[in-house]
Amino acid sequence: MRPSSRPWLAKWIVVGIFLVPLLFIGLKTYITLTVSGLAMGMLFFLVASGFSLIFGFLSVLNLAHGALFAWGAYIGFTSFSLINRWTGWGGSESFLLNMAIFLSALIFSGLLVGLLGILTERLVIRPVYGSHLFQIFITVGAMIVLEELIRVVWGPDDEVMPVPIKFIGSLDLFDVVLSKYPLVAIGLGSAIYLAIHLILKKTRIGTIVRAGVENPEMVQVMGHNIYRYFTGVFAVGSALAAIGGGMWATFVKSIHPAMGGEVIVFALIVAIIGGLGSMTGSVIGALMVGLSYNYVAYLVPKGALGITMLLLVVILLVRPTGLFPEGT
Amino acid sequence: MKERGLTPVQAFRTRERKGRFTGPSFFLRILLLAFLGATPFLFRSFELTDVILKIIIFSTLVASYDILLGYTGIVSLGHVLYFGIGSYFVGIFMGKLGWVSYGPLLLAFVLAVLTSGILSILIGFFSLRIRAIFFAMVTLAFMEFAFILASQLRTITGGDDGISFKLPGILSVEANFGRFGGVDLTGRIVSYYLILVVCFALFLMMLRFVNSPLGRVLLSIRDNEQRSIAIGYKTYLYQVVASTFSSCVAAITGGCFAIWVRYVSPESSLSVPVMLDVFLMVIVGGMGTLYGGILGAAFLMTTRAFLPKIQGIVTSLLPGMPWAIRFSERWLLFFGLLFILIVYFFPKGILGTVQERFERKRET
Repeated sequence: MRPSSRPWLAKWIVVGIFLVPLLFIGLKTYITLTVSGLAMGMLFFLVASGFSLIFGFLSVLNLAHGALFAWGAYIGFTSFSLINRWTGWGGSESFLLNMAIFLSALIFSGLLVGLLGILTERLVIRPVYGSHLFQIFITVGAMIVLEELIRVVWGPDDEVMPVPIKFIGSLDLFDVVLSKYPLVAIGLGSAIYLAIHLILKKTRIGTIVRAGVENPEMVQVMGHNIYRYFTGVFAVGSALAAIGGGMWATFVKSIHPAMGGEVIVFALIVAIIGGLGSMTGSVIGALMVGLSYNYVAYLVPKGALGITMLLLVVILLVRPTGLFPEGT
Repeated sequence: MKERGLTPVQAFRTRERKGRFTGPSFFLRILLLAFLGATPFLFRSFELTDVILKIIIFSTLVASYDILLGYTGIVSLGHVLYFGIGSYFVGIFMGKLGWVSYGPLLLAFVLAVLTSGILSILIGFFSLRIRAIFFAMVTLAFMEFAFILASQLRTITGGDDGISFKLPGILSVEANFGRFGGVDLTGRIVSYYLILVVCFALFLMMLRFVNSPLGRVLLSIRDNEQRSIAIGYKTYLYQVVASTFSSCVAAITGGCFAIWVRYVSPESSLSVPVMLDVFLMVIVGGMGTLYGGILGAAFLMTTRAFLPKIQGIVTSLLPGMPWAIRFSERWLLFFGLLFILIVYFFPKGILGTVQERFERKRET
């Protein structure tokens, strides 16, 4: 069986995930669940895209990605609290001010964690390029150190994540209840996906990165210093993880040092489903996981993670290299 | 020369076999075994015996992991899953079902081994077929899944609180066979020796496994998979066999762990921190040596056992420095740093480095 011989099956799985739940769930609940599933999918996408890009381009299985995610959440938490103490925008009645403080906290954590990513790549990962085994060891070590540093800086206990006041609660559209924050998350996530997509497709750097996913040696032969791009992609991946961390923390309203470990598993699954190194694959994989998780969590509360695993196994059986193995 | 006419492997074997019962490392091993056998009578404190028994169990677990990592060259990030399966079978049979007798205990072990074997064949089938790196991810995902299952299915697994249970007959806490050498022969001592014997047998089995022709194939896969394929081995099948064998061993060690602590919980036998411990132990001790696990486990377990004392010293040395105290509480941070340094500078671990030195000496 050639891996790419059944493209239609994967498409039917995607369509099935959307439509089959309609048989069991009423339309209004279905819409509510779909919105929160899409939001969850977008959050998974933010984490998984960086992970997938780093794997595709650097071929590093970055197990420290979860720790960078947690760093993002914590820096987002601190910067939000600081800005809020200074300006009070988080409690303001204006949606725009709410959005401004939320975005500035996210940008702040993205920038700082991007820097942290550069440090990690330079100090820890660069010496072991080329050896998968040692990369796994070294990123596990980096994960331990980064996670423990969170405990040193912020203390080992859970913290409550502050949420802008206008993001709390829900809208009522034609009797369909929609929480507000998931809508914000969907919007932001789609914007980020579009931005990455355009950068990868339309700019020179994006072309080089896409070429690097397919064949790093060739890119080097063409005269590009691939290590500089490695650092850049790692920084961008870390920043995406951090933004995902900040948004995830606002979604679940609490942060704790080990939060990265739980989400990294979803990122792994999404990256495998989508095809390692593929952005479109990441977004579709993430939405599949988010939606199926939400539908099943509503129908069979304890089976939610089971459906995710089932999805992973089915995809591995049907298309072992993921939905979009070409790295697009 | 008698060795002429033999293949290099055969020559190596004959040389090994000749020195098998006379070499210094043989006596070292006997000495270690004797020490472990005498432990309950040497140290009469429970804490020390506890630490040493945990070293025994974990070094067996680490050795089984080493078969994957150091001998076959595939990275599993969910090896603790099988350890957890072993301890949960014992816990559920003894605690939840309350079948406190020898038959069910044995049955629990058999079922645990079967479940782990089947599960690892399935996981291997899904993930090893494509790329070895997928195996790492899929095993991690399965372990996380099992962890969440164990903490959610309260009726079967007791949830986050876990299950504490009693053991039958001579293993129970109440059992007492009088005094010998100034030590009460309680059920604890009996379980100590039972586990020691089981782990010893497992260790011999693993040695046999890695030194068998099959083990040689595994080494060749580790060193050059393409070439092994070219020679004509179905490397994928060999990898699945190695992963299944090592997961079965891990299941038995998990059962032993449950017998010793008389308690299972997701936190203590199925979680990512336990996996990290195993990982640290195998790297610190040395990959591809089997015995390295003993050193790694000893290092980590003793450090952990005496850590509160070290922390006490730090606190008394540096009074009024909350930052220093905060750092000293985060001992895992230093383990992580140490781990990274070891991977850089001693990629073969303690035992691997020592072995290499000896071999270099022998050659010159």
